[in-house]
Amino acid sequence: MNAAYKFGTLCLLAAGLMAGPAAAETNLTVMAYSGLFQERYTKAVIEPFMKAHPDIKVTFFPLPSSAAMLGNLRAQKAAPQADVVIMDVSVSKAGTDEGLFTKIDETNIPNVKDLYPNARIPSVAGVGVTFDNLVLLYNAEQVKEAPKSWMEMAKAPYKGKVVIPGVPDIQGLGLVLILNKANGGTDYLANVDKGLAAVAEIAPNVQTWEPKPEVYAPIITGQAALGVGYNARAQVNSEQSGGKIKATIPQEGTIFQINTINLVAGAPAADAAKTFVNYALSPEAQKSFTETMFYAPTNSKAEITGAALDRTAVKNLDKVMSVDWIALAQVRDKIAEQWRRRVLPASR
Amino acid sequence: MTSLALSHTEPRRLGPLGTASALLLPIAVVNAIGFLWPVVNLLKMSFREAQASGALGAGYNLDTWTNALTDSFTLELITNSVGVSLLITVLTLIASYPIALYLHRSTGTWRTVLMVLVVAPLLTSAVVRTYGWIAILSDRGLVANALMALGMAEPPRLMFNLTGVVIGLTEILMPYMILALLSGFGRLDPRLEEAALTLGASPLKTFWRVVLPLTAPGMALGGLLCFVLAISSFVTPKLLGGGRVFLLATEIYDQAIVTLNWPLAAALSMIVLVVFGISLTLYARALRRIA
Repeated sequence: MNAAYKFGTLCLLAAGLMAGPAAAETNLTVMAYSGLFQERYTKAVIEPFMKAHPDIKVTFFPLPSSAAMLGNLRAQKAAPQADVVIMDVSVSKAGTDEGLFTKIDETNIPNVKDLYPNARIPSVAGVGVTFDNLVLLYNAEQVKEAPKSWMEMAKAPYKGKVVIPGVPDIQGLGLVLILNKANGGTDYLANVDKGLAAVAEIAPNVQTWEPKPEVYAPIITGQAALGVGYNARAQVNSEQSGGKIKATIPQEGTIFQINTINLVAGAPAADAAKTFVNYALSPEAQKSFTETMFYAPTNSKAEITGAALDRTAVKNLDKVMSVDWIALAQVRDKIAEQWRRRVLPASR
Repeated sequence: MTSLALSHTEPRRLGPLGTASALLLPIAVVNAIGFLWPVVNLLKMSFREAQASGALGAGYNLDTWTNALTDSFTLELITNSVGVSLLITVLTLIASYPIALYLHRSTGTWRTVLMVLVVAPLLTSAVVRTYGWIAILSDRGLVANALMALGMAEPPRLMFNLTGVVIGLTEILMPYMILALLSGFGRLDPRLEEAALTLGASPLKTFWRVVLPLTAPGMALGGLLCFVLAISSFVTPKLLGGGRVFLLATEIYDQAIVTLNWPLAAALSMIVLVVFGISLTLYARALRRIA
């Protein structure tokens, strides 16, 4: 009995050893945002990728923010655990400067050639994989018609009913930039006085500058009527709440938030990582993710159809103000200081 | 026989000092790994070169420290944090003292029930309790509705400002204060109060001259505990402060997570540590004076 058992175990072991190389699987780790992003990205991009590449097993490594991702990459610099990272472009720039990433271009990732020019940032190792844009959010019950201007938030009926993630958050910063331009400001790197003055007009109506966990929840529940947020999440929240929250791009325009996809330098599965990044940038994956989560595609060949077309900034590209996030990072502290001195006192 | 005799050697005796260090060794090791080492790393981080992009340079310099120490905003953060934490500590003490005194005097099952009630809030995290306060203090919340029912036209702003932070943290820290007070009430013998009363002191005078001095060690301990917890708490100020309250803890979060300036976040953390050190020293002095 005992001998037979041992023999059986040996046979199983031997079989396992022989079967091993035949079913060689590469494990690929993709680090990106947790929550909605993880859910939708897995469905729209990772699952089809694994179907097309049965030899690559993708593991999603979810983290709540780009900064948390950078923290992980810094800690793992000597022996990286992640192969591919999707993060905000300004954080990606910091990672690039620290030598955490391998440069992506046409030579190692063929699909890069079809990307829109603003998805390729010379000083950043990664390339744009999603474009999101700032939107004016509104509670459909309290605000019947889509507001035409960002300055709707300054109107009397909305006292205490406005939620904006304030500077240094990109959403508050973006609002300052948009209103700076709308009020005749020219070089936002020199000063954003006009933008700050405009936001100071909105400030008395602001309920909180720190909507938590995100800006969408208080608007869905009706705790707030207007707010500033990102289009993709707004669209998904709108869908899930049965249209209680809606989003619009006002006449003053909007800005893009760029998520980049990056190859981790010295990653364990470097080749599989390149295969994945190329797929993630392909028209097919870009179309799939845009139609699932309403980020605008960065690949110019991605043909978006149906409802997604109206729910992304694809048709409103002329309204998008270009922002040099890399240069802006240099003056962000200065803007934050002026924010504290000139905007917040108006909202106490 | 011989082997038995050998195994029966006299056990090595530790002197009182040896026993003490042997007993302290485990906690010393845990502290070294879990506290000292990270603090040393934090200190090192505060001297790293911070580039504008958020990247950490390879070199070390004094820039972060000189900027932090010359920036008036840092001073504002320190005074805000210390001031708000002191206010919260005093309010927590005032709110907790009667409860602790009552608990100390109650006996039997009733005492057990009350103790469970005091400790129960600790079973839920501060995050959950903070969200609870958001529901209560919001413009359509319990308090606002009650005030409007009483005829107030517009309810006062109770949260997303300093008021909200103070209300939330005071409630959250009360269990700690009550437990600290109770542990310090040991010297409070009811017979002493009875003696004071029979000797003709008024109840107020008895409280002022007998009860209060005897409970002072508990108050000092509770005060230290709440102050330290208040100044280092970050979730509640973040959620209830509405981006209008600037404290060391929330600024450390912003610098580390949003602006990616880890050296500055590390430097501010070291400043918090210094504030801790100062409050510990003051506590030790207060204890000596009480004793």
